[in-house]
Amino acid sequence: MMAIRELKVCLLGDTGVGKSSIVCRFVQDHFDHNISPTIGASFMTKTVPCGNELHKFLIWDTAGQERFHSLAPMYYRGSAAAVIVYDITKQDSFHTLKKWVKELKEHGPENIVMAIAGNKCDLSDIREVPLKDAKEYAESIGAVVVETSAKNAINIEELFQGISRQIPPLDPHENGNNGAIKLGKQATQASRRCC
Amino acid sequence: MEGAQENPAESSSSVLRSEEPASGPEGLPPEESEGCARPLEEATPKKLCGYLSKFGGKGPIRGWKSRWFFYDEKKRRLYYSRTAQDANPLDSIDLSSAVFDCKADAEEGTFEIKTPSRIITLKAATKQAMLYWLQQLQMKRWELHNSPPAPPAAPDATLAGNGPALRLELEQEEAELEEFLCPVQTPPGLVGVAAALQPVPAMPSALQNISLKHLGTEIQNTMYNIRGNRQAHGTGHGPPEDESPPSGEPQRAEQPLPSDPSTPDAVDSPKPAPKSSLTANLIQKAKRQHNTFPLFAEGLTRNRTAQEKALALEQQVLMLTKELESQKELVRILHKALEAAQQEKRASSAYLAGEDKDRLELVRHQVRQIAELGRRLEALERERENLAQTASLQEQQVRELQQHVQLLMDKNQAKQQVICELSEQVTRNFMHPPPQASVPPGAGDRDFLSQQEKMEHLKDDIEAYRTQNGFLNSEIHQVTKIWRRVAEKERALLTKCAYLQAKNCQVESKYLAGLRRLQEVMGGEASQCSELLRQLTQEALQWEAREASAEVPELSPISEYDEYGFLTVPNYEVEDLKLLAKIQALEVHSHHLLAHEAVERPLRERWAALGELTPSVELKQLLRAGVPREHRPRVWKWLVHLRIQHLWSPGRYQELLSQGQVHEHPAARQIELDLNRTFPNNKHFTCPSSSFPDKLRRVLLAFSWQNPAIGYCQGLNRLAAIALLVLEEEECAFWCLVAIVETIMPAGYYSKTLTSSQADQRVLRDLLSEKLPRLMAHLAQHRVDLSFVTFNWFLVVFADSLISNILLRVWDAFLYEGTKVVFRYALAIFKYNEDEILRLHDSLEIYQYLRFFTKTICNSQKLMNIAFNDMNPFPMKQLRQLRTAHRERLEAELRELELLKAEYLEARNSKAPAVPEGCASEDEGEGEA
Repeated sequence: MMAIRELKVCLLGDTGVGKSSIVCRFVQDHFDHNISPTIGASFMTKTVPCGNELHKFLIWDTAGQERFHSLAPMYYRGSAAAVIVYDITKQDSFHTLKKWVKELKEHGPENIVMAIAGNKCDLSDIREVPLKDAKEYAESIGAVVVETSAKNAINIEELFQGISRQIPPLDPHENGNNGAIKLGKQATQASRRCC
Repeated sequence: MEGAQENPAESSSSVLRSEEPASGPEGLPPEESEGCARPLEEATPKKLCGYLSKFGGKGPIRGWKSRWFFYDEKKRRLYYSRTAQDANPLDSIDLSSAVFDCKADAEEGTFEIKTPSRIITLKAATKQAMLYWLQQLQMKRWELHNSPPAPPAAPDATLAGNGPALRLELEQEEAELEEFLCPVQTPPGLVGVAAALQPVPAMPSALQNISLKHLGTEIQNTMYNIRGNRQAHGTGHGPPEDESPPSGEPQRAEQPLPSDPSTPDAVDSPKPAPKSSLTANLIQKAKRQHNTFPLFAEGLTRNRTAQEKALALEQQVLMLTKELESQKELVRILHKALEAAQQEKRASSAYLAGEDKDRLELVRHQVRQIAELGRRLEALERERENLAQTASLQEQQVRELQQHVQLLMDKNQAKQQVICELSEQVTRNFMHPPPQASVPPGAGDRDFLSQQEKMEHLKDDIEAYRTQNGFLNSEIHQVTKIWRRVAEKERALLTKCAYLQAKNCQVESKYLAGLRRLQEVMGGEASQCSELLRQLTQEALQWEAREASAEVPELSPISEYDEYGFLTVPNYEVEDLKLLAKIQALEVHSHHLLAHEAVERPLRERWAALGELTPSVELKQLLRAGVPREHRPRVWKWLVHLRIQHLWSPGRYQELLSQGQVHEHPAARQIELDLNRTFPNNKHFTCPSSSFPDKLRRVLLAFSWQNPAIGYCQGLNRLAAIALLVLEEEECAFWCLVAIVETIMPAGYYSKTLTSSQADQRVLRDLLSEKLPRLMAHLAQHRVDLSFVTFNWFLVVFADSLISNILLRVWDAFLYEGTKVVFRYALAIFKYNEDEILRLHDSLEIYQYLRFFTKTICNSQKLMNIAFNDMNPFPMKQLRQLRTAHRERLEAELRELELLKAEYLEARNSKAPAVPEGCASEDEGEGEA
């Protein structure tokens, strides 16, 4: 049996950029044009193989509207990775993304893996954010960047694979379960630090 | 002369009467009766009475019967008795509702009195008498109707007065009343008090005249008459017979004449006639007078009844008195004649005694006198001729006038006939209202008859219809009874069917749950079993579709959408969830079917019985149990109105909308973004042609202007959408949203910081620890934080979580009682699923479970009982205290966080130069921010 490693991932980003759609596509391989805007948070899991490990993503999908930001720490605390989503057709959403990056840098877990997803790449003809800008920015913060389309199932798997690759492999002496516990401990530490 | 001219109908007696007063061949001459009656006219009120023949159509003796009719002024009724002297009348006729009629084709003098109860056919001696009667009766009736309470006017009651003066008076009075038929002259002798003196008209047999109908009265009257005869004075209802005392026998021979204007002698010779002729005349008269006696006696003997004999005797006495007076007058005249003869004798003796001269003188004087007298005679002759000429002229005029009068009378007679006919028709119509409008007047006889025939037909038809109607009524009654029984049976069968269906659903859901379990246990093992399992699952999922198409649609299959447009089976693509959703839908359906009969019906009845809404404990209980769909809009409107009274003003909504058109609210973009993402599982919001998204947009925009501090918060779209789905009118939905955000929820619930709603999550955690300590310990052990799911519950009042029929019930109570209801239900939801959660020992599993567990609740009754009974006591005071405490703590934390943030920034800034490269990007980020 392969070791199962639980990875807490949270999704951040402006409202309506497609956070929930990405999760839905990734977890259920399904796309709904209109998903109810998330209030509070949503939780899903998906296990994917990564090398000789199994990565079980515990995905926390958050609300996008600015006034819900104050709830976000609850979800990004203790996260191994954060997927920050912007809409390539909306410049504003890229600004919001930068704010999130800043907040994560300030209050997030120290070694959090950041992945930037430029969603709605199926609508590239009305694009407002050039891929170049995103790439440059991602590079500057050392984040994974990929343009996705939850609608057309483009780069969704790749996004999470990219995250998996960024997660440092476990100490060979420890098994998967320990890793999970370790992560959990990390989470509690993080929360103490933040709030 | 006058009488003869004016009463042409009276043929037999008129000639004789004008000639001689005592020459009537039968009974008393009219003049005599007048003589008796006249003195009474002034003393007693004039009476309408007289003999008439009454036609008796019933009983063994049919035919005409002579009756004495008289009108009683006091009782205002027309009475009749057998004779004028009868004490008790046989019967009476009420004239107030009577109609009079005379038939053109009937026997002369026949007329009818019709009252609603009877028809009396009467016959007067002559046509004129008939007309007189009719007219008088009409007048009486008129009086009755015009002045019912007043005593009858005396002069109207005409009596048989024959005098010209009286007649004139009568004419004037009648002319006032009668405009159609010129007043008929009173037929002398036939009507009035005097008529009572007349003998009862002869009848073939006495028996025939006796009224068998009123036998009692007859006997009474006979007794009375016998008594009256013995006393020599009969006092009947006829003429009051207080007459002069009987005169002596010797005066009988004398005859009064000179004063009588109707006697030709008196007119022709104003001066006493020559002695010889005078005496001869007198002798002749006396003879004639004497001659009347045997006749009279004969008449007397003819009278059969004693009463009549007495009467005759009295008459005789009267006559003799008159005769005596006339004899006296005669003596006086003879005396005068004697005086004249003596004077003559004196003159002739003077002549004889005188000288020649004197004699010549005398002769000359005589001659002069003669010549003068001759001249005077001539003049008188001329004058007489002139007078005769004028007389003849006037006579001609009179004749012309009479002709005219006759013409008018005929005309009026015809008119009266028409009136009679019409009034008859009116009474008939009044008594039997015709099925159609009244027959048009003026239609011919044939027309009338045919219409009458038609009416008869219609009457038959009515009778037939009436029978038919009765039958149909009974038929309706029967059929209704049958229908009711069938409906009862049907309801019982439907109930049974619902129970069976519910059972089936439960079995099916259990089977599906079993399949799911098996699937989980088998895991990824690719074996025959798992293949079979997949097949079975596939089949199970397809059942519904097959059932729906094969079964009768009446048996309430699970429809795709519920009554508010929500999808009943969530549209999950993932197989695993599909199965779950199916199980859930089946559960919901079975509960719905079971609850329908047992719970909802009595509730529905209670709501229907509830009149005007007023806050009360009963209403609170009813609202907690849920408002039936048909009452919900009305109840919600009332609930909203209760809360927003102080905020509401007419036109406010439109004002806000127009405000939104002028300036774009910063929230408008976000609202637009969320419009299509509101309730994607509800057909009203997903259907492209639906008006709901537009309404929702306007409501949310209006609200953003109503409360700029909040503007738009995600979640408000769902609150407004629920309000729209229930209330339908967007203005109502707007006010409902205002009521929730501004009056029910604490301040700061949807604000930029969401402080109050976050505080409520901590309040809930405290309450859960108090009410469900075991569960909270379990969750704490697995480090499960509930707020990720409960935050949504509070912000949108379960709109995303509960299935619609439970959700709206929660809202029913929530709109009335406020946020306490949200807490109660939040606690109840955990309590409802407590065992299920306790069974899970992995935080991930718990999180997974919490994600959908609210949707598995389908027993609303159970949930309600937990919320409102198991969670008691639930003091508001405690809630308030917890809220303020947590709010303060949260605010403090926020302030601390801000402080920390500032410190961190400061520290980092100071550290910045020391940080090696790679932080350049951070600088860049700083610059952007």
